[in-house]
Amino acid sequence: MAITLGPATDGRTAEAFAHPVRMSGPEGPWERVRVAVERHGSVVVHGRLEEWLPADLDDPRLRPLLGRDHARFQAMTHPQVRSRFVASRLLLKHVACAVIEASPESVELAYKPGGRPYLRGLDQIDISLSHTENLLLVGLTRRGWIGVDAEAKDRPMLGLGTENQVCTPYERRTLAQIAEERRNAALVRLWTLKEAYSKAIGQGMRFRFTEFGFSPQDRNVQVLRPDGAPGTGAEWAFHTCLVDRAYTVSVALFDAGFGDTDDTAAATMLDAGLIAALVEETGEAGDRAE
Amino acid sequence: MRTVEELIELANTHLGTALAPADAAAELTELAEWDSVHLLRLVALLEHELGRPVPVDAVLQARSLRDIWAVAVGA
Repeated sequence: MAITLGPATDGRTAEAFAHPVRMSGPEGPWERVRVAVERHGSVVVHGRLEEWLPADLDDPRLRPLLGRDHARFQAMTHPQVRSRFVASRLLLKHVACAVIEASPESVELAYKPGGRPYLRGLDQIDISLSHTENLLLVGLTRRGWIGVDAEAKDRPMLGLGTENQVCTPYERRTLAQIAEERRNAALVRLWTLKEAYSKAIGQGMRFRFTEFGFSPQDRNVQVLRPDGAPGTGAEWAFHTCLVDRAYTVSVALFDAGFGDTDDTAAATMLDAGLIAALVEETGEAGDRAE
Repeated sequence: MRTVEELIELANTHLGTALAPADAAAELTELAEWDSVHLLRLVALLEHELGRPVPVDAVLQARSLRDIWAVAVGA
């Protein structure tokens, strides 16, 4: 049974995804990210923790860069957790700001009740974040919802009791048909697809992984019911690839059907009339408060 | 399994983690080597250890190892 881990080859997913873009630091160049978003409406960016880790974690410039996350960051005690937190947020903010053409200090990262990150005030853009070992991964789309996940391709998962917690009956049957030496990699792929989809729909692991599944092939991937019957339609696109030859990366993308938004620059994408109305209302409210 | 320390020992033995008893009350997001794969593997280990199903939905709501232990033993 074939499993493809490479650039998108399927016509439908090729339209939605470019191969993940490697960014080795805040200085860029960011043109590849902007081009990917212009061409596909979405981009997946990866970096290494050490490349995005500030030399001084007590640098006062981190406060405006992290915004409200800075208090959470300061409360963290474990050095590895602090490093991963700050590096991943810096990558995420720089990716978003490259697309919306704004400064990282001007964008506020917020979290929905389930922990899903979003950019406050920028509803046209959806984001997703993942990290494993020293890999940082960010997904961004202006088409709808996105979820990304990464895992070491050879992380042991098979035969440890996890299949019953992770796989549908259909997936367990199809996994059993895969050559033994490739079966663990296939399970890692399924795991990252499930994580990516769960993040895209904002459910995390609350949507039991045994309640939905995927096929073992990386063509025309769609969500399947536990018995293997189709569960979603063409509005969802999925893709899995290898990054740095070591990590299995999966992306789930929901196309909301509103079409692409050509203009995501923060300075111009808001409707001028709406802004005027909001400013006027805010001003009036401020006057009343005073 | 009578204590959360036994759960931590179980995790360290089978998951390759190096958790300390002091980590019992820490937020799971604050544990450097903890992730969602560990969580599901721990559920499988607990079910094997206890000889009965563990309520996964409740485990997923847990914020610390102590919470997981409490769910697992029905404390």
